[in-house]
Amino acid sequence: MSAASRLRISGGTVYDPANGVDGEVRDVCIEGDRIVVELPSNVPRLDARGMIVMPGGVDIHAHIAGSSVNQGRRLLPEEHAADPVPAPRLADGAIARSGTGGTIPSTFTTGYRYAGLGYTTAMEAAVAPLAARHAHAELDDTPIIDAGCFVLLGNDDYLLRQLVAGELARVRQYVAWLLGATRAYAIKIVNPGGIARWKSGGAERNVGGIDDPVGSSSVTARKILEVLAGAANTLELPHPVHIHCNNLGQPGNVATTLQSMQALAGQRAHFTHLQFHSYGGERGKGWKSAARDVIEHVNAHPEISADVGQVMFGPATTLTADAPVEHLLYTSTGRKWVNVDSELETGCGIVPYAYREQAAVAALQWAVGLELFLLARDPWRVVLSTDHPNGGSFLSYPQLIRLLMDRTYRDEQLKRVNQKMFAGSALLDGLAREYTLSEIAIITRAGPARLLGLTTKGHLGAGADADVTIYADHPDRAQMFATPRHVIKGGTIVVEEGQLRRAPAGRRLAVRPEYDAAVTKDLKRFFQDYACVSFENYGAEPVS
Amino acid sequence: MSAATRRVEHVTCLGCGCACDDITVVLQHDRIGEARNACALGAAWFGDGTMTPDVRVHGRTAPLEQALDEAARLLRAAQRPLVYLAADLSCEAQREAVALGDRLGAMLDSVSSGAAAGILAAQRRGRAAATLGEIRQRADVIVFWGTDPAERYPRFTSRYAVEPQGLQTPEGRRSRTVIAVDVGARRGPGDAAARVAVAPGDEMDALGVMRATVQGRVATDHERFRSAVELARRMSAGRYVALVADGEPGAAPADPDVAEALVTLAQALNAPTRCALVVLRGGGNRSGADAVFTWQTGFPFAVDFAPGYPTYRPQPGAVALLAAGEIDAALVIGSPASVPEPMATGLAPLVTVAIGPRVSAASFKPAVALDTGIAGIHEGGTAFRMDDVPLPLRPVLTGPPTAAGALRSLRERLGA
Repeated sequence: MSAASRLRISGGTVYDPANGVDGEVRDVCIEGDRIVVELPSNVPRLDARGMIVMPGGVDIHAHIAGSSVNQGRRLLPEEHAADPVPAPRLADGAIARSGTGGTIPSTFTTGYRYAGLGYTTAMEAAVAPLAARHAHAELDDTPIIDAGCFVLLGNDDYLLRQLVAGELARVRQYVAWLLGATRAYAIKIVNPGGIARWKSGGAERNVGGIDDPVGSSSVTARKILEVLAGAANTLELPHPVHIHCNNLGQPGNVATTLQSMQALAGQRAHFTHLQFHSYGGERGKGWKSAARDVIEHVNAHPEISADVGQVMFGPATTLTADAPVEHLLYTSTGRKWVNVDSELETGCGIVPYAYREQAAVAALQWAVGLELFLLARDPWRVVLSTDHPNGGSFLSYPQLIRLLMDRTYRDEQLKRVNQKMFAGSALLDGLAREYTLSEIAIITRAGPARLLGLTTKGHLGAGADADVTIYADHPDRAQMFATPRHVIKGGTIVVEEGQLRRAPAGRRLAVRPEYDAAVTKDLKRFFQDYACVSFENYGAEPVS
Repeated sequence: MSAATRRVEHVTCLGCGCACDDITVVLQHDRIGEARNACALGAAWFGDGTMTPDVRVHGRTAPLEQALDEAARLLRAAQRPLVYLAADLSCEAQREAVALGDRLGAMLDSVSSGAAAGILAAQRRGRAAATLGEIRQRADVIVFWGTDPAERYPRFTSRYAVEPQGLQTPEGRRSRTVIAVDVGARRGPGDAAARVAVAPGDEMDALGVMRATVQGRVATDHERFRSAVELARRMSAGRYVALVADGEPGAAPADPDVAEALVTLAQALNAPTRCALVVLRGGGNRSGADAVFTWQTGFPFAVDFAPGYPTYRPQPGAVALLAAGEIDAALVIGSPASVPEPMATGLAPLVTVAIGPRVSAASFKPAVALDTGIAGIHEGGTAFRMDDVPLPLRPVLTGPPTAAGALRSLRERLGA
């Protein structure tokens, strides 16, 4: 903090849904890096009268650091040239760094821009274990925000072997070891089995459904989902498996999405960028919305959670471990394309993209995302994301919030878009719902924090991290959320009167479950036979 | 083993971009006696590890603090400084160096500007690529395009691309077809199962015909391209094809059009089959510099901070700016031995600060020379394999100052 380590944010209208506070005028007290119940009346004050006070934003799913992200950065020199970012002028002459923006900003700019948006935590959603060291190095250069990594599993040869051999207990040990070795926070599954098929070079280039065999009849997407979800829940990880289903972006993929959810019935699981997995229609015949079917299932199953993966009109970069999807996109768009197959583990595909209002598929994707938001009954379980930078940059969150809060604005937008594929979309039924500020606070901070099991984030109760965002109560909610007046991170005022003034280092969020060391013996044998890096050099831990 | 002998295992070698991390270094009396598993190039890179680090200011031996003060003074006084990253730096040192470039408003470049053709081609078109281990696991057809890795990347074929057994190549070389494409004097491996000769003047056309063949667009029956068409068909019939080319500068300057044609051929092959283009890169953590530049600035090399933010100047590049007399002082970091000749020549008349292994003996005679150890031998941290796989460095000897440490001290003096 600038001077004292104590601060009273006084007189603001507080939205702290995790603690049942819905727009009450009250003070928020900070001591050191924590929220406290009360402070003496003579501590420094930050006058928040007339302003909106919320916990710092928590992004449950974004691509901000690591090997795939950096491949994407390297592919986009023209975007970077068009969006130069001089170093911000920090208080007390502290040194900041210049950078570049675009859909994949440089690391320092990423940290500054998240903070400037009132976000203080973000999860990097796809880290190949082999490149985990790289992801952490980038996060070390991403200031202010606390960040964690989701480590990619579900196409890794070691796992698939254990499934063939029926060694399910060993899978749990392996997962526990891998999370620790890569300093990760949660397990990410991307297109289970599909990437392994893509890399194998056989006639089948992807899986078409969750019961397609992958190499062996005993390995299917269903099996991978069941075993990894079980492992995460048995290990009592703070966040359950984070699932990117098979058939992303394909017409008719609703069947796969619902089957995947049913396969895990009764188990905790998080389904990510659900919008990309909620399409009816048929391959070759076009897309239609199946948002209603998917969200009804989510509404009825409290063990399931999701983030939406909203598409926003404008530039984007599609960037995913789901490499076969990117090959399709490359083939259909003719844009530049990166594919990198990652040994024994996963893949990576990148295609720069733009969602246009007049493009029928993009407009449908936009509508499907909004339907999911507007039909979701429990905001705690259906939270905000754009799958940055896939559906659009994180900088578009304020615009998305306005779409959710302002029906008039939404209806105006709706009139402008291509509705060719809108048959059956609930959006045409005139969905009247407008999110309240409290609901926005849930889907942008309290909800993601709870789903991630981050007990000290997403709320303003005593003992919480002193991550606080203070907004001017502007009637245009897009403007309000784009330009917070003050942002406090870990007790430090990072944004003051709308200006970035301090840029402390962020913390890393990671789990370290216990495992039986016997698994490392088996892993060493596997490394000996197949790997091209030493077991001892793998992962992201410092070496002696 | 005697008390004076010790071993360090799983050491990463930065002798070339293969970054083999299976080296066991045997030390005797604080000298490297042996680098087991290392190839001849790797053994030469490790050497015996001995160093007599010197610190020189204007030619005279000086205390470290004085050298750092003078370095800061010279760089602060510069109107148009260059920060140039040579080889043998850890990513940690490279991160410090980019921070200095940012603070100084400098032109920032690295030895990777020599590999610009391939980098720019990938920026225009993208990549169809794989990590080296995936080539080992999958590739049943390997085409060496005008390159024989034996000389500059000695363990490439034994460790990654040809010999080892993999998931889908259970019998190693016998599970694969190795094809050498000889482009004039740029010859593929001598032990390839098949050879195709391409006249240097026909290289672009041959690649174009191959791509058209893969895409089923045209099939020329011109005699000149018969073997290229045949090769394209063989590649299309493979299960997983690796196309291997050298990204580092050779005797002839790299042709940007050829670099791009290799990318688009590899991309096109992903319709009928799977294909990865492997662009071979040199040692000393060159790929790490590209990665660090990219994540900190958005550009992989040739970054100009003069406007107060990063801009991309791949076309003039640092060498051209030096030749044009635009640069008035330079900070050169890393091994001077890796600095290309035109760059070293351009640096000679300038006021330079050099930080790196044996810089006190650099041909361009730095005004301030601060010898450091070599990343991977005397300095830990992280380095990238040529395919961007990050690996830890395990210093086997200590003693000389580290580049990352010296750069941090310089940053403090410059308020960066």
